[in-house]
Amino acid sequence: MLNNFFSKMFKEKEAPPGEVAKKRLQFALVYDKLEVSDEMLQNLQNDIVDVLSKYFEIDKASLRLDITRQEDLSALVLNTPIIAAKKRGQAPK
Amino acid sequence: MEGKIIVITSGKGGVGKTTATAALGAAIALEGKRVAVVDMDIGLRNLDVVMGLENRIVFNVVDLAKGRCKVRQASIKDRRIENLFLIPASQSDNKTALSTDDMVRLCKKLRQEFDVVLIDCPAGIEQGFENSVIGADEAVVVCTPEVSAVRDADRIIGLLYARSITPKLIVNRIVPRLVASGDMLSHKDVVDVLSIELIGLVCMDDFVITSTNTGTPIVLDRDSRAGQAFRRIAARLLGNTEIPIVDPLEDLKGFWNRISSKIGLRKT
Ligand SMILES: Nc1ncnc2c1ncn2[C@@H]1O[C@H](COP(=O)(O)OP(=O)(O)O)[C@@H](O)[C@H]1O
Ligand SMILES: [Mg+2]
Repeated sequence: MLNNFFSKMFKEKEAPPGEVAKKRLQFALVYDKLEVSDEMLQNLQNDIVDVLSKYFEIDKASLRLDITRQEDLSALVLNTPIIAAKKRGQAPK
Repeated sequence: MEGKIIVITSGKGGVGKTTATAALGAAIALEGKRVAVVDMDIGLRNLDVVMGLENRIVFNVVDLAKGRCKVRQASIKDRRIENLFLIPASQSDNKTALSTDDMVRLCKKLRQEFDVVLIDCPAGIEQGFENSVIGADEAVVVCTPEVSAVRDADRIIGLLYARSITPKLIVNRIVPRLVASGDMLSHKDVVDVLSIELIGLVCMDDFVITSTNTGTPIVLDRDSRAGQAFRRIAARLLGNTEIPIVDPLEDLKGFWNRISSKIGLRKT
């Protein structure tokens, strides 16, 4: 009985379920839109390798491309060891 | 004049697409149009039982699309409503039985025979969705006031926009009591999140269950709130945009006012 009373009292302070649902929904939709498919990520990685290779000798196999997410932002993180910069003459204009 | 094709879709299953297709088909036919409702849930047909026509099936939509029969042979006449026809799904094929090319051809044929064609789209975003949408001129998205249903609806709306279709929204299975107590998403929340045009609100209604059980059209039942809501949606779909959308909460208040004035608690 008393237990019930307390849990009711605490419950009153929380947002009503309908409101919670709306918040969760808005977050979910934002989150969904940040999602990138593996295929797109792979294509992007290939393009980046092409561009970087114009300027650097890179270790293509150990290049890593990731999307990291924090609560309200997501970031593209590229990690690649550089073997050597290309000589001036070799770089395109 | 060629008929128009409207797809009823949702993303998520169990939100009321088949219920809406049967009810809207019946209501539009009652407005005097020649209507076909097409069950595209191939392999899992439902619309036939909801309409009470399950024991009249000879040909199905796959037969028709593959040219194995004529439109007239595949169209099952409704038992009660004049000018209403069902084209059932096939139960033995799977969703890849038809291609989008098959569907484009089929839709072209159906346009010549009917004023309005309603397509009951299967759940999901795969081939069955593609096939249901490819020939459609308009789309109605059905959604319930639940997080998962609204999220799936949002995805579907994006896919429809990508095909240059601007969909309209039905919010189904609203429980006014729960909305009033703050326990359920309100239709305003849903519209707010999805930001598309609302075409109707349908409450949770026991008549949906009984009419599905007996295979009779819910729109013929004057006492069914859902049935009457579907009739208003049908009229709006036919361009009668003056009909106001009744807020189920206002309706609930109206109900209590009527009751309390009847028992003398309140003066009217
Ligand atoms: N407004 C409503 N009130 C009560 N029950 C409903 C309502 N709309 C749909 N239902 C029930 O919900 C279930 C799923 O509906 P259905 O139309 O088959 O969904 P879908 O075709 O989207 O999978 C069925 O049992 C149906 O009777
Ligand atoms: Mg269905």
